[in-house]
Order: sequence, then C-alpha cells, then structure tokens
Amino acid sequence: VLHTTRPLHTTQQCLAPLPPLPEKGGEVRHGLIPEEFFQFLYPKTGVTGPYMLGTGLLLYFLSKEIYVINHETVAAACILSVIIYGIKKFGSDVAAFADKLNEEKIAKALSVKNEAIKDLETAIEQEKKEQWRVEGRHYLFDAKRNNIAMLLETNYRERLLTVYNEVKKRLDYQVALQNLKRQKEQDHMIQWVEKSVVQSITPQQQKESIAKCILDLKALSKSAQAAV
Amino acid sequence: MAGRRATIKAIDWAAFAERVPPNQRAMFNALKTRSDALSARLAALPEKPPTIDWAHYKATVAKAGMVDDFQKKFSALKIPEPVDTQTAKIDAQEQEAAKSTAEYVQASKARIAQYEQQLQKLRSMIPFEQMTFEDLHEAFPETKLDKEKYPYWPHKPIADL
Repeated sequence: VLHTTRPLHTTQQCLAPLPPLPEKGGEVRHGLIPEEFFQFLYPKTGVTGPYMLGTGLLLYFLSKEIYVINHETVAAACILSVIIYGIKKFGSDVAAFADKLNEEKIAKALSVKNEAIKDLETAIEQEKKEQWRVEGRHYLFDAKRNNIAMLLETNYRERLLTVYNEVKKRLDYQVALQNLKRQKEQDHMIQWVEKSVVQSITPQQQKESIAKCILDLKALSKSAQAAV
Repeated sequence: MAGRRATIKAIDWAAFAERVPPNQRAMFNALKTRSDALSARLAALPEKPPTIDWAHYKATVAKAGMVDDFQKKFSALKIPEPVDTQTAKIDAQEQEAAKSTAEYVQASKARIAQYEQQLQKLRSMIPFEQMTFEDLHEAFPETKLDKEKYPYWPHKPIADL
C-alpha cells in the first residue's frame, strides 16, 4: 500500500479527528527501500532504473575507495546474513504471536462493551415490562369488587331462601299434623268397628257359617275332580 | 330490587395472570381460588326462591285464617339487602394505587431515559482499534489512572493489578 496520498492536516486549525492509521506499513522492497522510490524513478528510467542506480553507486563507492573493504566488512556480512536468516525463518511466527496478544486485548474490551450494551437493553425491556404489568392493576380491583358483589348477592339469596323454607316448614307442619290426626282417627275407628263385629259373632252363627263352608268346599272339590 | 345486583364484571383471569409478577403469584392464586369459591356458591343458589302454592294450602289446612294470615305477612315481608361497607375502601385503595403507580411509572421512565443515554454513548463509540488511551479514558472513566492519589507507577494499588 502506497502512502503518498495520505492526507494530513494541510490547513490550520482543522478540528476533525485524524483518519485512522493504516493497518499495514508502507510497502518495502528488499526490506529496506520503500516502494515509493521505485515508483518515483519509474517514469524516467523504467523498471530497472533504481537497480542500475544502486549498482552504479556501489561500484563507485568500491572503486573510488570511498567505502574501504576491511575486516569489519566480513564481520558485517556474517552478522547481517545471520540476522536476515533469523528474520526470514521466524519473522511471521513472532508477528502472528504479537498480533494475537493485541487481538486478545481488543476482544476483551469489546466483550465488556457488548455485555454492557446487552445489560442495558435487557434493563430497558424489564422496565417496559414492569410498566405494562402495572397497567393491569384494574384487574385486581375489579376482582375485589366482584367478590364483594358476589358475597352480597349470595347473602341476599340465602336470606330469601331461609324465609321461604321457614314458612313452608310451618305450613307443612300444619298439614302433616292434620293428616296424622285424620289417620289416627281412621285407624281407631276401623279397629273399634272390627272389635265390635268380632264380638257380635255369637257361637250359633259360628257353627252355621262353618257348616256352610264345609258344604261349599265339598261342592267345589266335586267340580274340581270333574274338571281333572 | 333495584339496589342489588351490583354489576358483576366478567374478569379475564388469563390476562390478569399474565400481568402478575412471579413473586406475587401465591397471592394471586389465593385470590383466584377465593373468587372461584364465591362464584360457585353463588351459582348454586337459585335467583328467586320458588313461590309457595297458597291455594293448595288454603284448601288443605283446616285452621281458618292461618293460611291467609301467613300469606298476608309473607307478601308484606321485605327482606333487607345486605349493606355494602367495603366498596368505598376498595375505591380508596384504587386511588392510592393509581397515585403510587404514576410515581413508579415516572421513576421507571427516568431510569429508561438514563439507560437510553448510556446505550447511545456506547453505541456511538469509536472502535477500539482506533482509540488512543486518552480516548479510552474518556469513554470508560473507570480506566483512568489516578496520578494524584498514586503518583508512582503503576498508579493503582498493587492488589488491583
């Protein structure tokens, strides 16, 4: 990513916040030379321009002995090769590890924020629910008034019923009393009549009636035999 | 007969039950059972008692005048309706409840406004990747390190690390 076009505060007193920093650093060739240099030389010298410049500069320094080759050159070569080997082998792993640490920090902060948002939302919902609940208070009072009305009504009806039952009981008692008296009189009368009839049967009448019964039985038995 | 029959409103027990919070459920159940018992009792009683057959009794009972006497007294009898003493109290309770409800609703609305404000602040925060530590301390004041109270690093009691 080339950063030549990143705008900064170009005029005075700009109060807007800066745009966020880019994710990745500027692109670099061979780990040292920024890409912008190559792009800068491209229109005039093409793709090989910067390389030719580099080679020419190096040969110039060597041939004119502006840079002298001594034992430190060898030491530098060894050290640099080891360093470059190390970076090439372990660079990406270390970068990933560092990125992970950062990620974890941000993720933690984000989770805190999200939880806070969720808690607030549920709290708001609860409050609204409670308000809705409270609106239903008229049910309670209606139920209470209903209970009272039902009690009163029940009481009134019970009273009516009691009056009716009492009056009916008394009238029925009178009727039952009469009936009982009537029945007793009848029974007594029947008994008395029976007793006097039994008493009035004389022994003479008894004998006559028994003889008549025997004759009747004989006649009946004859007719019965004939039938069989 | 005009004074009685204070109108018995039909109550939607299902809707009522929905609005009861869980910690008052026992009271609600008690109220419901009581209500149901009362309405069962009411339904078991007939609205008017059956009429007494005076003609039959006049023909049957021999004592003269007794049935007529009873009949006269019976039709003249006026059964007093039970007096309603509690409805006024209920109405007073209702007024009180209305007042306290209004207060509660107001407090609740204030709380909701507060929550909404905080929610707004949290939602319009810049993402963490673009924050500096200063921005973080602005958004979450509890992360700010108190450099006056603890002037030396780590600017908070060691136990809090």
